[in-house]
Amino acid sequence: MKLLTTIAQHAAVSPEQTAFRNGEDAISYRMLWDRSDRLAALIRNSCQLERQTPIVVYGHMGTDMPVSFLACVKAGYSYIPIDTSIPMERVRLIVEKSGAGLVINTTDSDLGLDNIAVLYTAALQLEQVEVIDRDLWVKENEVFYIIYTSGSTGNPKGVQVTAANLQSFTDWMTSDFPLEKGKVFLNQAPFSFDLSVMDFYPALQSGGTIHALTKDVINKPKQLFENLSGSALEIWTSTPSFVQMCFPNPDFNAEMLPELDTFLFCGEVLPLAVAKELKARFPEARIFNTYGPTEATVAVTSIEITEELLAKEEALPVGRPKPDMRILVVDETGNPLPDGEKGELILVGPSVTKGYLGEPLLTGKAYGIVYDMQAYQTGDAGLIKDGLVYCQGRLDYQIKLHGYRMELEEIEFHLQQSDYIKSAIIIPYAPEEEIEYLIAAVVPEANDFEKEYQLTAAIRKDLALRLPAYMIPRKFTYHFTIPMTMNGKADRKKMKEEVFA
Amino acid sequence: MDFKEKVLQVIAEVCEDDVVKEEHDLDIFEAGLLDSFATVELIVQFEEQLGINVPITEFDRDTWNTPNAIIDRLNELK
Repeated sequence: MKLLTTIAQHAAVSPEQTAFRNGEDAISYRMLWDRSDRLAALIRNSCQLERQTPIVVYGHMGTDMPVSFLACVKAGYSYIPIDTSIPMERVRLIVEKSGAGLVINTTDSDLGLDNIAVLYTAALQLEQVEVIDRDLWVKENEVFYIIYTSGSTGNPKGVQVTAANLQSFTDWMTSDFPLEKGKVFLNQAPFSFDLSVMDFYPALQSGGTIHALTKDVINKPKQLFENLSGSALEIWTSTPSFVQMCFPNPDFNAEMLPELDTFLFCGEVLPLAVAKELKARFPEARIFNTYGPTEATVAVTSIEITEELLAKEEALPVGRPKPDMRILVVDETGNPLPDGEKGELILVGPSVTKGYLGEPLLTGKAYGIVYDMQAYQTGDAGLIKDGLVYCQGRLDYQIKLHGYRMELEEIEFHLQQSDYIKSAIIIPYAPEEEIEYLIAAVVPEANDFEKEYQLTAAIRKDLALRLPAYMIPRKFTYHFTIPMTMNGKADRKKMKEEVFA
Repeated sequence: MDFKEKVLQVIAEVCEDDVVKEEHDLDIFEAGLLDSFATVELIVQFEEQLGINVPITEFDRDTWNTPNAIIDRLNELK
């Protein structure tokens, strides 16, 4: 695989170059290559797993995360990255459902998992030198990584991305964007979120350095800006929400980050106002908007946001398709629509992944074959005008909140599991084009709490066991009933009116 | 409304939860009431509603973690 071969070359030619750093630790290309080889050999020799068995890699942004990812694929296995922000119950569910054969734990905490081998990287000596034969590396049509996304039935689903999918994406990034060799890339997203892939593999293939921000740094604005000031960042990769979060600091500009020349956005709508503000603060930098679901390997469209585009004062397009991809807009019956008409976006070509792990029914519903190529039905509403793709929300209850993708039905499913709740629906609060937070409209069970806020606190506690923090609603409102539509479904529109009344 | 009540009102509005008006020593980050995005909103509201400018670089989760702590810090900046 070209990606791995290229990383090997960087390790040979510039061994001391930093591949990855997180503010505390750093790892060079030589160490990354060497340690991942040794770990790959250890996994092969000690675990006797069948080829392509998924391996869970658990942790936050330690240097053992990249080592473990490469170790898995060098030994012919796929990996499932799981960030420490994911609650244990969900981790257990993913381990079970994926049929993982091993958990590599890069943290010190005990995950309390039974019936599965757990390898702690901190305790490993890895002294035995053993070079892994390249014939063992994950092959083109084999799975490279699996990322779990929110599922509407309450269970997360694992998107299987092949080596060929990832290679196609990485080649596009390094050739169609100004990512010259040896640049410093920002990594803001946790590894369980595929926005991290947007900087991680393009950086490694181009011999660059990944500068990762840990959640502790992001949570403390003072540390965050000190960190950024000393980062020498050249390529910024984040959600629009994250860069927006930096705006209240007036010093966040080209003076703070003089080397920064490229912004890459993905994961949610890039609001016009954010792009304008950014141009004012970083007049020399180029800004790129991109779009794509995890099922089509991170991103499949791109466009440079120029002054000319900003001057139009219109909603920003997500851009033109990646050259080897075709994007169609279809109506409800699947018939292609002419230019400018709104429908569902269908993605066709080599970026489309293999489907959901162990879920043939779900895969069959969303994936198919068009023009003899793999195709994915996004559920995103959109249109194409003059060759540019515009996104216009969802056709179902999937949403993006600060770049995190989630199914409202999954949150509702977990709310209903709580003993305090009879029924509940989630209403996104979106005063303008983006969602600011979620509101849970709840019909409570009888309870002994004196005040509503005590009930809310109890429900929050319940939810935190099962859902990541970003999926927990900010506001809870209480009601006697949930209004129904004529055909017996929850009437979201009416409920919304009631909540905002 | 005195200053303390005004501050509590602002925090309650941003957290969308009246618990902060009752439990002044509740750690609002640990309770999951405030994330990084809402933190920014809170700072904006201090400026808009109270006329106090809190430089974002001064905001530290460890010392701005409870309603009481926030009132103390704002009193220092007033």
